[in-house]
Amino acid sequence: MKTKNKKILRIIAILMLAGFVIGGSIMLYLFNMPHRDVQSAKADYVLTSNQIVSEYLSDMDAANQKYLSSDGESKILEISGIINNISEDFNGQTVLLLKGNEDKAGVSATLISNTSISASSLKIGDSVKLKGVIRSGASFDEDLELYENVILDKCDISII
Amino acid sequence: MKKLNVILSSLIILFSLTAYSQSNDKLVSSKTHIKFFSHTPAEDIEANNYTSVSTLNKETGEVVFSVPMQGFDFKKALMQKHYNSDKYLDTKTFPKAKLKATITNFSEFDLSKDGSYEAVVEGELTIHGVTKAIKEKGTLTIKDNMVSAQSTFNVTLADYGVEFVKGKPSSNIAKTVEVTVLAEY
Repeated sequence: MKTKNKKILRIIAILMLAGFVIGGSIMLYLFNMPHRDVQSAKADYVLTSNQIVSEYLSDMDAANQKYLSSDGESKILEISGIINNISEDFNGQTVLLLKGNEDKAGVSATLISNTSISASSLKIGDSVKLKGVIRSGASFDEDLELYENVILDKCDISII
Repeated sequence: MKKLNVILSSLIILFSLTAYSQSNDKLVSSKTHIKFFSHTPAEDIEANNYTSVSTLNKETGEVVFSVPMQGFDFKKALMQKHYNSDKYLDTKTFPKAKLKATITNFSEFDLSKDGSYEAVVEGELTIHGVTKAIKEKGTLTIKDNMVSAQSTFNVTLADYGVEFVKGKPSSNIAKTVEVTVLAEY
């Protein structure tokens, strides 16, 4: 009888320990969960800079609904366009503005640090294709009194 | 006095126009940095955003920041998910935050030469679809014809209807976060 009790106790102890280990590792995993790797993921949409801008300017709410995700891991877009401007942000990252001469707004794309094609080789007027995650859409802001660009982050250049 | 102000501001405009050779009264900056910092005994959380657009009106001292809310990068992916979720800043429904304010002592500034000024900024801050009046201090610096603005202030999240009622995030995120804003025009 005593040995049977001991056996049950031991099983319970083992189960509890396993529970703690599994629960703990899930917690630890969630806490240290890595960021989504945008570049190894497949693009959700393939568009030109003109197409995404037009889509936003014609119906911003519908476009936000389509492209933004509530957990911040919004759609991954592959955008092709012509480089209208090259700048550097406060984080030291290169920012490309893809915009046609006739377009009201463009796509502002922040590049990752180690792009597959060196960012320094790019120049205004070059035609590029890049992939990144959308952060916000294009719209006319009446306080800024200008058109805001579509913001794309974590971008790499795929084809030149 | 009023006349003097008019003359002064016209002079400033004239000077700035020649200095920047821009037909528009508004300086535009897309080189910005917005940082938010939260401190609790449990942990410090920091997020950085380099994607905002800002304008500064050289005539009126009006300053506008438009902030893409999903542009905040956190060190930990889970924090970023919490921050974006509909229980917190709900960035899908409210993709942008906005600061629309005026530097009330702007007429005292001379943008035509190097200098640094303490600016009193008064206006409205919209986060999470909620607009509140704010009055904060900042610094406007002019160096080699380049104007930059900087300000650090506190934001009480509950004022904007942003609150985690229970669970880990509620104890790990401060009720009041420190926001630092920087723009180079």
